[in-house]
Amino acid sequence: MADMKTNRHILLHAVLVCFTVLALYPVFWVLALSFSGQQSVGLIDLPNDPSFFERFRAILPVPAHWSVSNFTEVWTEQSFGRWLWNSVIISLMTTVLGVFLACTAAYAFSRFRFPGRDTGMLMFLVSQMFPGTLMLIPLFIIIVKQLELGNTYIGLVIVYATTAIPFCVWMLKGYFDTIPYDIEESAIIDGASRLTIFWRIILPLAKPAIAITALFSFMTAWNEFILASVFMESEANYTAPVGLRFFVGGFSSQWGYFAAGSVIVSLPVVVLFLQLQKYLISGLTAGSVK
Amino acid sequence: MKLPAYLKRTAFWGLGISLLITLALSAWLFRAGVNELQLQQRHRIAVMHANALSLAISSTDVEETAKRVREIQKFDPGIESLIVVKGTQLVASTNAADSAPRQLKRDEKPLYDLSNLLRTARETNRGEGVVRNKTIWVEENKPGHIQVSLPYLLNGEFAGIVQMRFNLLQPAMNIRLEDSGALPILIFFGALLVGGFLKPTSERRMDPAKLMAIAAFLLSALFYQQQRLDRLEQVWVNGNRVVAANYLETAEQYDRAGYLPLVRDPASANLWDTDHYQRPLELIAADGSSTDTEYGAKAADRTSFIKPILWAIDILGIGILLLIIFGYAERMYAAFKQHIYAYVYIAPAMIGMFVLVFFPFAYGIALAFTDTTLFNESLPFQERLIGLANFKAILGDFNLYERTADGIIWNYANFYWTLFITVLWTVSNVFIGVTVGFLLAMALNTEGLRGKAIYRVLLILPWAIPNYITALVWRGMFHPQFGVINQVLQMFGLEPVKWFDGVVSSFITGVATNGWLSFPFMMVVILGALQSIPRDMYEAAEVEGANRWQRLRFITLPLLKPTLIPAIVLSVVWTFNMFNIIFLVSGGEPAGANEILVTKAYKLAFENYQYAYAAAYSTVIFIILLAYGVFQTRVSKATESF
Repeated sequence: MADMKTNRHILLHAVLVCFTVLALYPVFWVLALSFSGQQSVGLIDLPNDPSFFERFRAILPVPAHWSVSNFTEVWTEQSFGRWLWNSVIISLMTTVLGVFLACTAAYAFSRFRFPGRDTGMLMFLVSQMFPGTLMLIPLFIIIVKQLELGNTYIGLVIVYATTAIPFCVWMLKGYFDTIPYDIEESAIIDGASRLTIFWRIILPLAKPAIAITALFSFMTAWNEFILASVFMESEANYTAPVGLRFFVGGFSSQWGYFAAGSVIVSLPVVVLFLQLQKYLISGLTAGSVK
Repeated sequence: MKLPAYLKRTAFWGLGISLLITLALSAWLFRAGVNELQLQQRHRIAVMHANALSLAISSTDVEETAKRVREIQKFDPGIESLIVVKGTQLVASTNAADSAPRQLKRDEKPLYDLSNLLRTARETNRGEGVVRNKTIWVEENKPGHIQVSLPYLLNGEFAGIVQMRFNLLQPAMNIRLEDSGALPILIFFGALLVGGFLKPTSERRMDPAKLMAIAAFLLSALFYQQQRLDRLEQVWVNGNRVVAANYLETAEQYDRAGYLPLVRDPASANLWDTDHYQRPLELIAADGSSTDTEYGAKAADRTSFIKPILWAIDILGIGILLLIIFGYAERMYAAFKQHIYAYVYIAPAMIGMFVLVFFPFAYGIALAFTDTTLFNESLPFQERLIGLANFKAILGDFNLYERTADGIIWNYANFYWTLFITVLWTVSNVFIGVTVGFLLAMALNTEGLRGKAIYRVLLILPWAIPNYITALVWRGMFHPQFGVINQVLQMFGLEPVKWFDGVVSSFITGVATNGWLSFPFMMVVILGALQSIPRDMYEAAEVEGANRWQRLRFITLPLLKPTLIPAIVLSVVWTFNMFNIIFLVSGGEPAGANEILVTKAYKLAFENYQYAYAAAYSTVIFIILLAYGVFQTRVSKATESF
């Protein structure tokens, strides 16, 4: 019996290791490429008639020569630093605006009973169903053609912030609902105004939820590709995602720069994601699970 | 303070507010209408001069052309500058520094491009027998300074372009609107007076006073608007006279110079005064007499563009009036005052949502009923309306394949093919995600397994990486020549695959990539659900003699369902809309065969510039998703009762 159990676990371990290798391989491949100091998509130059082991060496995600030149060059010689800076500014502005809009709206939905409240919440929910491409064309015509906000930070920021609103409002409202109303009542009796209560009591109490909202807004802007590629036409205004595509899209194949850039862009979001994934998962499924 | 009685009556306020808004909007609209007419008139004059010029040099040699160009500029002082381009040659220019004739310079390539564009437009118009493309391009970058480009014909054949900069700031060419602000104010106070005497009941039913108020509104609003419409027609007629006078003056100068004879026949058409397709407008005759000096059908035609907007304004005004006299406005105001805090807090987000989500959504739907492309988007909206034609073209096209000698050729551009691929794509991805996620979750849920936490973190990694990066990485790994996946195939003695050249192999690249990045979500969700199943249920089942399959079938799966179904619903919508993977990995290759609906809509809009067609396409996608949503809620409600 005991032997059977270890045997079964060996099989399980084999399956899990297989999948883990599959899950990790592309990650290691990008890492290897970024430290290879070369631009080609293959890690090793193969001879004309390679043997089994030479081919095996070629798929091992280990660079032929270790070098950090891709990192230094993507930073100094390419416009990547500029693109990353654009992304940072746009994402931070989106976070500030998104959190402000979501906090105020979620507070009203949570604390006040007013005509139009249910309709408003439903509208936020329905707006999540609008497909991106249906929004893309009118947004392009309105923001770029009519308002001439193409190639500007503000055009992308307002769109990103409003896209993130519904999810953030629903999540923050859920959290605000858990804060007991007694605290506010006693503050009102003490003569505090609504603004003071919101600013001094609710916001500090809701810090964890606001942190998640902020992270979500930030990631919305940081990882967005389509709108940015449509709105930002001049190379100087690319965001990091559009820039990374620029390295390997179309006819250019600067895979080394792409890999180094990808590592720089992904590192902060991967770390944040692994730290905070359980909140995001609960937020994603909260609406649908009864 | 005691308010006079009439101030408390809803009819007074209702008429006051609704008329104020209606009259103000109408006045603004008519001002805009007059501006529009003035703009049209300016462009007509500029086009007229350009046409005359082009006709005057249409059958001469290079030297004579240069001479005529200089002469014409002398007697036509409105012309600021003009150039004639033939092929790659600058034939004539009024600017001495240009030193024409010479070859075009590198930075003058736009002129050559424009020439080709006009040539194509002209040839398409002639070839198809239907005039659809503009052959005259008018730009007004600064008010009054108009640039006109039109074909330069040599003995009836297209030779190049004539480009003229025209100055229209001479006072004689501008029509004026003698405006009296007194009329709307008189109407407004008259209606207020009526409103003060009406005593509608506060009840929510129709009574004579309310009817009177509505009648008073309609009477005042329509009277003012009719008066303005007449005025607008007068403006147009005056403008037409100005154009006619200008024509006659110019034509006499051309006649005197001997370049173009002036036909003194009121019955023959005027070839100078054309629209942007070079069709005579027939608003003035060849002898310069205005064919429509009195109020008539043409003036009404030319000013009717304003009418649909007028109707909209009237409906808005009536709506406001009804809201007020039936007491809704009062109650709304009371509610607003009572909950002012809530509305202040909600306003920023709501305004943002309306401007950037709901308005664009409505705009997108409206766009779907037009034929807007990059090239006609400046036309007024109602001229672009084409009804359901886009939807007919998308949904009514069943040209799925063609039979040829070599077998069946599929039509990859067809909507139903793309829909088929999209459904196949969604189903296969969700199936892979759920299967792999379920297997891994079951494995990780095994009791006493070592290293669970490490496996979990490592297996979740694909979810954490931004998906556009994942897509581009897999694109690199599928590289037909140097990609690692072909290396693995060759390692085992197989032939390398040109991944993006075949329909099936290209589809596999997308599924592999999306499978890789989507299984962690399913795994985490299922693992969470598995962990919440109490252990004693399994123990009880074991005691009862249930085998492993029975335990899976009757305990695990039913208890997973409440978590699994929302997760599958979510992942169906995500995969259906998964733009990045298709767009960045295979790009829909080969020949658009692997395009899914959303990437197809994107390409229609931003590679073919068919904005309206793409909007209609997106609307269809939205309807499909909506139908899926409704169907899904029905199903989950039905299963709930079991």
